[in-house]
Amino acid sequence: MITLTINDREVSVYGTATILEAAASVGIKIPTLCYFKGLDSFGGCRMCLVEIERVPRLQTACTVRVTEGMVVRTESEAITAARRAMLEFLLINHPLDCPVCDKAGECDLQDLVAIYGAHEGRFLEGKRTHPENFNDPFIVRNMDRCILCTRCTRMCDGPQGAYAIAVTGRGSHSFIEPFSGGRYNCEYCGNCLTVCPVGAIMSRLHRHSYRPWYVEREVETVCGFCGVGCTMVLQMRGGSIIRTMPYVGEGAVTGSYGSAGSAAPAQGLNKGLLCVRGRFGYDYLENNERLETPLIRKKGILEPVTWDEALSYVASGLKDVKAVHGAKSIGAIASGRCTNEDNYMLQKLMRFVIGTNNIDSSARFYYSPAQSYLERIFGHGVTANLIPGIANADGVLVAGGDPTAINPILGLQVRALWRKRGKIIVVGTPSGLRRFVNYEIKPHPYLEEAVLGAIVTRLAAKKGFRGENDNIEKYIKATAMPGEQLLKKANVSKEIVDQAAEDLAMMKSAVVIIGPELMERPGASKNLFLVSAIAYLTDARIFLLSERPNYQGVIDMGCAPDILPGGRPIEADVLQHKIKDADVADHKIPEHKIKDTAWTKAPVRKGLNLFAMIEAALEGNLKALYVMGENPVFNFPDRRKIENALSKVDFLIVHDIFMTETARRADVVLPAAAWTEKDGTFTNLERRLQRVRSGIPTMPGRGSVSYHRGGGADKRPEWKTLAGIGRLMGMKENYLTSSDVWEEVSRVSTLHAGLSYDRIAGGNTIWPYGSEPFRGVEGEFEVEAPGMPPAMDDGKIYLLQERQLYHSGSITRKSKALMSISCEAHVLLNAGFAERCGLKDGDKVIVTTETGSLTLPVKTDREIPENVAYVPNNFDNVSPLGIIGYTVDGYLGSISLSGNVVTITKADGPSDAAAGEGYGDKKE
Amino acid sequence: MTREEMESKDNETLKDKITGMKRTYPSIQSVLMPALYAVEQSYGWLSQDAIQEVSNHTGVPAAEIKGVATFYSMYRHEPMGRHLVQLCTNVSCLIAGVEDLVKFLDKKYGLLPGGTTKDGRLSLCLMECIGACGNPPAMLVDGDAYDNLTCEAIEQILEKYE
Repeated sequence: MITLTINDREVSVYGTATILEAAASVGIKIPTLCYFKGLDSFGGCRMCLVEIERVPRLQTACTVRVTEGMVVRTESEAITAARRAMLEFLLINHPLDCPVCDKAGECDLQDLVAIYGAHEGRFLEGKRTHPENFNDPFIVRNMDRCILCTRCTRMCDGPQGAYAIAVTGRGSHSFIEPFSGGRYNCEYCGNCLTVCPVGAIMSRLHRHSYRPWYVEREVETVCGFCGVGCTMVLQMRGGSIIRTMPYVGEGAVTGSYGSAGSAAPAQGLNKGLLCVRGRFGYDYLENNERLETPLIRKKGILEPVTWDEALSYVASGLKDVKAVHGAKSIGAIASGRCTNEDNYMLQKLMRFVIGTNNIDSSARFYYSPAQSYLERIFGHGVTANLIPGIANADGVLVAGGDPTAINPILGLQVRALWRKRGKIIVVGTPSGLRRFVNYEIKPHPYLEEAVLGAIVTRLAAKKGFRGENDNIEKYIKATAMPGEQLLKKANVSKEIVDQAAEDLAMMKSAVVIIGPELMERPGASKNLFLVSAIAYLTDARIFLLSERPNYQGVIDMGCAPDILPGGRPIEADVLQHKIKDADVADHKIPEHKIKDTAWTKAPVRKGLNLFAMIEAALEGNLKALYVMGENPVFNFPDRRKIENALSKVDFLIVHDIFMTETARRADVVLPAAAWTEKDGTFTNLERRLQRVRSGIPTMPGRGSVSYHRGGGADKRPEWKTLAGIGRLMGMKENYLTSSDVWEEVSRVSTLHAGLSYDRIAGGNTIWPYGSEPFRGVEGEFEVEAPGMPPAMDDGKIYLLQERQLYHSGSITRKSKALMSISCEAHVLLNAGFAERCGLKDGDKVIVTTETGSLTLPVKTDREIPENVAYVPNNFDNVSPLGIIGYTVDGYLGSISLSGNVVTITKADGPSDAAAGEGYGDKKE
Repeated sequence: MTREEMESKDNETLKDKITGMKRTYPSIQSVLMPALYAVEQSYGWLSQDAIQEVSNHTGVPAAEIKGVATFYSMYRHEPMGRHLVQLCTNVSCLIAGVEDLVKFLDKKYGLLPGGTTKDGRLSLCLMECIGACGNPPAMLVDGDAYDNLTCEAIEQILEKYE
């Protein structure tokens, strides 16, 4: 600790602190313009000049580090004069167009000029001019106003790592520009908007539509786009979102939030960063197509009805089905986009009111099977690791997806680690990590197993075994070194695998990031086991990428056929009662109760999972299906099968915010509330519980008060609708607010025992939440026998789903903002391959599978492997998943895509002659 | 040779050139300036494509390279003629009457300082001292030095540059 004196106050800080930080630690505010917490210090604006005793000239507080016995003054006449002079210099070129500038009212320059003066300069020369640039759909640059603090470029080159903008030109004629000079063509994180102290870089989405002091409510909530769960602030006016900001402390509205002197530092696990979806994607919530009233199908047409009618229709419909076909013919699909409360209530309705365990969600595709497999190997909570900790590791292995696209803020942590000279090893296409990898291992997408196997065997030879986990060690020892031929076939050199294994062996604190692509294919369990083996050998922390904000919550709330709320397996209760299997089969169990909800009984038998429900529907055994916040027709593979299955369901209820493809086939459609319109909790991929807060004022006992721009949509949260149905079916409890629901969760779930909203509010509620998690299943896992990897014929092209940074499932198609930067689906092909086929960027091609085809423009990429065609599943009428089939992995129970061999033919153009052949099935 | 052929050939050699530079400079950033000169030579000026090419070969982000390129005034930021005439207008040449030569170039070729002839043959750039003060006025054409210039001499010299 170093002790110094600032303005006659003794301050003790650690030696690495700057004067600015030391002053901030005791609440002394030093004005700044170019300083921003989290960015490298620059010392360019000279606003933070301070006097240091025995140092002849004024020094910048943001760059000078403290020394023992230093005596600092932050305010004096000389300092004020210097600051005024600096501001006067800035005003030489600043246009002072505050009346038409959106930033006015939260502008750092405006505030400082108000304090220190120099309202107008003495310079008579004309001001530098630079026309406003409207070439970009999101970001408008007004470089007249720029004061060249370079916060934006330091943000872009630093924490964001997009390297999209730079200072261009020289001297006072410098300005900030993206490479193109017009459109940004960047990751559109918008973090440059957060840091710009003046009105030089602004969002077009709310341009000239508000003044900072018009903001009526600021609501701190959690972003609802992906599984990271970034803290963000909704700025509301009249029930409508003006803009979203990352949480940046008390001074968020006053504009000085970046300054060290402001009350609270940037908080939340995202540390003041947001990605494109969180920052710009919110406008889908106010889309005119939002469902406004419940709809019931009458004579084949969906007709608007009142809530009362809809609820009683649903309740009586479900009762009828139960009476005729039994509870086991009713199923439900929960949603990773809905809050824990919503999912809990759906689970309660199914399990305890109707009496069926048929409930699952799209977490079944890969997230929940992968997690349960990992937990069987390592024990519970193995994926509960802190995202900000990634940057403190010394190496990362990424397998199965690009974290900077699926979970962008988690991806930024990997980039941060790379800047700290950590080793980044990527198995697969690095995409957003392209500039941030040490080893880019790009195997054929169906031969990851060979590479991972090679790494594991080498790693095991180098590191040896710790003897902690006999089970996994047994399997690792059984893992054979893949032959050189196989590695060659996978298109990976032996040397790079050796190098990567060498580096992994050196890591003291490793991180393994597992993405969905690793598990979407045959041999998924082998891939997952091998990655787990690497994690075991390096003693790594494991992160499981999650596309939806609340996949973890869906599991924790018991929205799975075999799990009760709190993650307790259904068998656990059976075991505790010491009941024999035979008794279960004979329904001889007297009571099978969930704690404290005395009147209800959980069914003893496991229900049907997602895939089984689809099969049951096809066989005609599933008579009623409740789909909440999910769009199976569009988001699930094999559209024909899904549509067929849904058509055989007699009573289909869809609960969503839009008229989705699935909702169009429903018998009842119930409008839902989006994540900004309801209170509740999300559990993110690090298993942190966070509060979601409604931006719209709500009144207890009624739906939300709604006076939205987007029409009269009823923002009734799902749990409330579900509870209404439940009550009509005999449920006794009545819930007024979401905290009532949560209160019940905290009684029922042993995992969430005693957790209140107040405790969750801090954002530091991390697994296992101070309670006793369920234990006792680890050690039982199987590994698929090592054998030949799935058949992979040379020359075939496999259709895979591209997971885009700019889109999040099918919901962001309704966001005009996101559609303006990424408006069209494409098929991503290897550039070399495309060239050989005579295809250029923008050429229309027909991608054909066994069951369907899509006509898409080509986009080429040098980085992706030759034999894949990536198509995003985010656009209207373009559903690559819809035209491929799936099977269920026998070991994991995850989805594996099948029937995805495609042929690619040119749709039109001069070389039509080649169209008949199909480039895909050319044989050597 | 068509333009495309020329470009594709250039790009191969450019890549080799820049890769070679990487070995002789301590950091990738220090390769930028010579690499920019190299692409300028093959493209004629620093177009977006030229800068993108440097980015492709060096791995430095294109925006950053643009920042470097625009900082220095002696890179060509606009398309130039096939031949660059750099005429010295410093003291010695000024006394020897370089202004007449500037006027002559305008009259004869329609060539203004900083401009290019309509046929894209010549560009004119007024320079500070090029170190030929002994025999003023002096100029450089594409790196070849000429001195003791007169209007007639210039006309003769420029005939060589098609």
